[in-house]
Amino acid sequence: MFTGGKSFVSLPPAFSNDAKRLLVCTGNTVSIFSTSTGLQTCELEGHEAQVTSVIVVPATNPTSKVLCYCWTSSLDGKIRYWDFAAPELMKTIDIRFRIHSMVIPSLLHPRNDSTGKLPDLYAYISTEDVKQEGKPSSFGIQKCNLTKSRIVGGVTLAETRKPGHVTISPSGKYIGTCEKRKLRIWEIPAKDSEHVGYKKVRLHHTRSITTMAFHPTERVVAAGDVTGRILLWRGVGRETFSNSKSSNGRMNTDGEDRPGVRDTDDADSCTTWHWHSSEVNVLFFSSDGAYLYSGGKEGVLVVWQLDTGKKKFLPRIGSPLLYFINSPDPTLSSISCADNQIQLLRMPSMEILRSISGIKLPSSHMDMYEGFGSVVVFNPTAGLIAVPAENYRVQFYSLFDDREISQVQICERNHQPGDEITVKVNLVALSRDGSTMCTVETRLPEEGIGSLVTLKFWVCGSQKKQVSLSTVIYEPHRDAEISCIAFRPTGNMAVSSSHGGDFKVWVHRHELTPKDETVQRSGWKCHAVGSYKKKPMSTAAFSSDGSVLAVAADKVITLWDPDRNTLLAVIGDSLEPITNLTFIGKSEYLVSASASRGSKSSNPQLTVWSMSKLCVAWSYRLDIEAITCSMDDSTFAVLARSKPNGSADESSQHAEDMILLFNAEKAVPLSVWFVSKAQGGGLSFVSSDEDKVSGTKATDEVLAYINGAREYVLLNPHSEQDISRQRGFTNLDDTDTHGYASVYGELPEFSLKADQTAFPSMPSGKTWKGIFSGPSHALPPLPKLCSDFLESLLERRSGVVE
Amino acid sequence: MAESFPVKPKLRPTSSKLTPTPEAKYWRSFKIPKDIETTPSKSFTFPINSIAFSPTAPHDFVATHSASVSIFSAKTLEPKPPISSFSDTAAAVSFRCDGKLLAAGDLTGTVHVFDAKSRSHLRRLKGHAAAVRSVNYPRAADKLHLFSGGDDSVVKYWDVTTEKCVFNLLGHKDYVRCGDTSPISDEMFVSGSYDHRVRVWDVRVSNSGSVLELNHEKPVESVIYLPSGGLIATAGGNFVKIWDVIGGGKLLYSMESHIKTVTALCMGKVTRGSGEEEEGNRILSVALDGYMKVFNYAKLKITHSMRFLEPLLSVGFSPDCSTRVIGTSKGNLYIGRRKAKVESEEVGVTNLQWKIVDDEPGRKVLRPSYFRYFQRGQNLKPSEGDYLIKRPKKVKMAEFDKLLKKFRHREALVAALNKRNPEIVVAVMEELVARRKLMKCVSNLDMEELGLLLAFLQKYSTMPRYAGLLTRLANKVVESRAEDIRSSDQLRNCIRNLKRDVEEEIRIQQSLLEIQGIISPMLMIAARR
Repeated sequence: MFTGGKSFVSLPPAFSNDAKRLLVCTGNTVSIFSTSTGLQTCELEGHEAQVTSVIVVPATNPTSKVLCYCWTSSLDGKIRYWDFAAPELMKTIDIRFRIHSMVIPSLLHPRNDSTGKLPDLYAYISTEDVKQEGKPSSFGIQKCNLTKSRIVGGVTLAETRKPGHVTISPSGKYIGTCEKRKLRIWEIPAKDSEHVGYKKVRLHHTRSITTMAFHPTERVVAAGDVTGRILLWRGVGRETFSNSKSSNGRMNTDGEDRPGVRDTDDADSCTTWHWHSSEVNVLFFSSDGAYLYSGGKEGVLVVWQLDTGKKKFLPRIGSPLLYFINSPDPTLSSISCADNQIQLLRMPSMEILRSISGIKLPSSHMDMYEGFGSVVVFNPTAGLIAVPAENYRVQFYSLFDDREISQVQICERNHQPGDEITVKVNLVALSRDGSTMCTVETRLPEEGIGSLVTLKFWVCGSQKKQVSLSTVIYEPHRDAEISCIAFRPTGNMAVSSSHGGDFKVWVHRHELTPKDETVQRSGWKCHAVGSYKKKPMSTAAFSSDGSVLAVAADKVITLWDPDRNTLLAVIGDSLEPITNLTFIGKSEYLVSASASRGSKSSNPQLTVWSMSKLCVAWSYRLDIEAITCSMDDSTFAVLARSKPNGSADESSQHAEDMILLFNAEKAVPLSVWFVSKAQGGGLSFVSSDEDKVSGTKATDEVLAYINGAREYVLLNPHSEQDISRQRGFTNLDDTDTHGYASVYGELPEFSLKADQTAFPSMPSGKTWKGIFSGPSHALPPLPKLCSDFLESLLERRSGVVE
Repeated sequence: MAESFPVKPKLRPTSSKLTPTPEAKYWRSFKIPKDIETTPSKSFTFPINSIAFSPTAPHDFVATHSASVSIFSAKTLEPKPPISSFSDTAAAVSFRCDGKLLAAGDLTGTVHVFDAKSRSHLRRLKGHAAAVRSVNYPRAADKLHLFSGGDDSVVKYWDVTTEKCVFNLLGHKDYVRCGDTSPISDEMFVSGSYDHRVRVWDVRVSNSGSVLELNHEKPVESVIYLPSGGLIATAGGNFVKIWDVIGGGKLLYSMESHIKTVTALCMGKVTRGSGEEEEGNRILSVALDGYMKVFNYAKLKITHSMRFLEPLLSVGFSPDCSTRVIGTSKGNLYIGRRKAKVESEEVGVTNLQWKIVDDEPGRKVLRPSYFRYFQRGQNLKPSEGDYLIKRPKKVKMAEFDKLLKKFRHREALVAALNKRNPEIVVAVMEELVARRKLMKCVSNLDMEELGLLLAFLQKYSTMPRYAGLLTRLANKVVESRAEDIRSSDQLRNCIRNLKRDVEEEIRIQQSLLEIQGIISPMLMIAARR
């Protein structure tokens, strides 16, 4: 199974000890990215369900920095131990509970056992005990002996009603979890064993707490709530943790001594900071404990100076923040954003170095507006998908490589997460050869004024690297919204249909200036306008040879000659408006799907029309989400949504949607796949690349299905054989040179002639700036400084270093 | 990621015209000079039949209209008092090769010779039985003779000093309406006639009739020698033909781009300022369709075409390439002049002098006690191998952009309104719509600003480009601020104006609809056929 498009931001990632790798949980696997290039280097495969945590074994001394071991836990109830440099599975522990979160405190404090014998390693896991059907499953925090591979019986720290995320302090002394309006904190004894008592503290608040963080050295706990407040408890557990003899009941309850602390909470003081306007997702103390990083829905990273409460900002990240972690290298840290992107930051200056991005997720607001079908668009020949994102961009993503190719800014606006959507890129279309892109953006009116629909044609360069704007058309169908754009397969023509009752045919014109001038003007012009009885045009399609244009006018299909703009025929009369229309390859069939979009229609229909007889060949009563046809033969595939009250033969409960593969001549499906989350999904035949996908011939097409959550899978439509992936991971070491070359670049070819010319030199002031920016107590480590320092002393040959 | 986008007005459709070629730029640079107050142009009431430039500097030119001939000064482009000693309409005019004498023919058949400077009448050559439409002095060196062609279909070769006709060149069977002398030989003459024939004459062999006869296939309106003397161009009907005279009268090319009769031809020249390409000779042709076309006969291609509003009758181009004159049938004279480049030369001279001063020996060595020490090297140019560190360019932001960035929406709208550029105002309004703040802004405007907005709406809300947004906005403004408007006289005035404009627009729309109603059935019928 070739899957991809997993979320990179479901969990906080983890840096390796040398900060050269970043471990990201991607669905059932852990992907390892190089921080210097942002490309994936390898993958840890083995878990059968969602990975829920990844913990890198920290280095205890400088020599062990090169060791690459990590622990992972998963919802399949297993804890695995990996050597991720190889990558190799070392150990598997079966817990048989679903694990939602795991922390291993004893990894964090160095074990200086004089006996030489390593003590047992204990993990604290947030588990879910799935009981019989019908009963709610119970959650709890349990202790697990990793050395002996078993759960420590009888130790359940907490019973909760929801799966809690366990937070651990950087020193490993405390673990905590937030549940609704309270925090629970446990002290982990320095000598952990199976039978040991735990001291615990509860802190209360009036609002639901969303996240918490521990100070690295002091007993300070920070928590963020849903209203955007940050609470900072100092001296937490002074009574409980330091003096074991005094009980909670005898605590000093004098309000003046402990400002801000609720009744019997064990803390010295509680301060509240309020800057965020909505819930706080990120809280993180810097490693020296002087700063607190916070972030939330606004997409702004706020750095609080802990003593003074002064703020510094990294604004316009463009998406809600989810996690912030720093690396063992103090100059590198990462932010995970909600738009499936991980940004790597250079630290004291907080510049974004590079970003690792997955497929952009659909906007949460997109369902709010009717006709804003922002679906994924496929480029079948190149194996690319174009995804309209919330930040007015279109992202090109390679299906076979499973990585982002580029992003194109469609309209010149900045996106502010959390704002009401007023401008939206709602349609994207790619021509078959991928050379032209067409986008439609809509500005929504304010109290009925100022709405604008803009149609833009773009010219794409090779590999989607450069995309340039070719033509802008304002209000192409007056103020009516565009329902569909289709490109003619033979090129240089496009059609846009609108709900306003007409369609326009656009042609590409070149205007060649006299030959002595190189300037060439080209653009798209309206070639023809057509309408049929003023009915709303919902979709359009060209036949594969480009000679016939089919436009769906409400419940009928009109066939046109696109060159002369004459109506050839009108066929069909379905019960519901037609939503989808495709000519099937080079065969004489046309397939249409009809359903009233948005509501559960009573009469959805999938119909195959014979073009030679202009009548129905066969039809099904199916609710169709997407149709695709193969380019050459007469097979086509549909993505059908089964309704909840559907017939019983659609057996499996969890997969209620299905992909059906048909031959146009026969009504019996060739194959069926059951899938989930089909709403908003897409389907396309993609011509497979022999180098990347084994198990198919080069001429074969594979079926790509992307679901509503923007995860995709490639299926082999013609045989049972699965498509295995042969992913070309980039080698980490290729990009990472050592020693002399890392500092000065490759030595140039030595030649006597070159020496006679004047030696061009440039001052390398930038390195100095980079070394000493930021607080003086957070200097980078000496090995890192040394190379930078030497580099700054030497003049760099501009021609050599790239 | 953290970039800011300035508010930009919507793109306008670009005209389908190409960017002007250097040649088109050159021909367009002939403009009515600003410093001469007689714009639009010299106008007379009668058709300008003929234009001629003096071959000597400063290249005065002369135009015939009605029964008079006007000489224009090349410097000021002002007409001197006209010579009007004609008894009938003057039809043709020509300068002698030294520019001192001027000959003009009139419709009575007389050729008059004047002194170009004093405008005194010197000779009267009588002999033509009908109107003289073609008078030409030889162009090379001969100062004593003159060619003339008349409606009596005779071409005469005159000895001017004795007022005697030396030869009658016979052969044409219809009116001779045009002629030209060879630029290299004083004895060669070409004449064109309404019998469709063009004849080349050589006075050395005058007895045997014409040397060469060409058939233009239409009444010939104009004929010129090209500078080489080996080619001639003839105009007649709506085409211009180019012939090789030396090669035995072979037709080289026929240019058919005018729609109506081509009335006159003249030689033009393209000078390139940069000197990348040598000067190119062009044929300028004017026609009754109002077009002037520039024809590059080396590449056989029309390089420029220019439209005038009236039928054109005559054209002239000064030998120093500074002035172009076109005469029309309505008596207008379109004089175009290129800007002289004298000033730039002067600048060059001054630079040179300054350099000499700069290189004066014995300059003081600057010391830190002197203020110039701290200013030294500021004007130093970087040398070849220097590594340049550029200061990052400061992004200029308009006032409304700055205010929008600070979320001061009302102030941004007012700032845009004060700019008085409707495109920008509409762009700011659209940005405010995208921020859902436009109606808030409108409700926050104070009286004065509301007046500004209403004045803007009155002016532009009926313009088709902005009407979509502005008419609806006007409606909203009037609805939401009705109280305030009622309370102020000035605002009520604005509303009255707005109402008037809107009513006017509605009337226009209705009449347009009526026209559409008339036209659409006709179109339907036409489509059915």
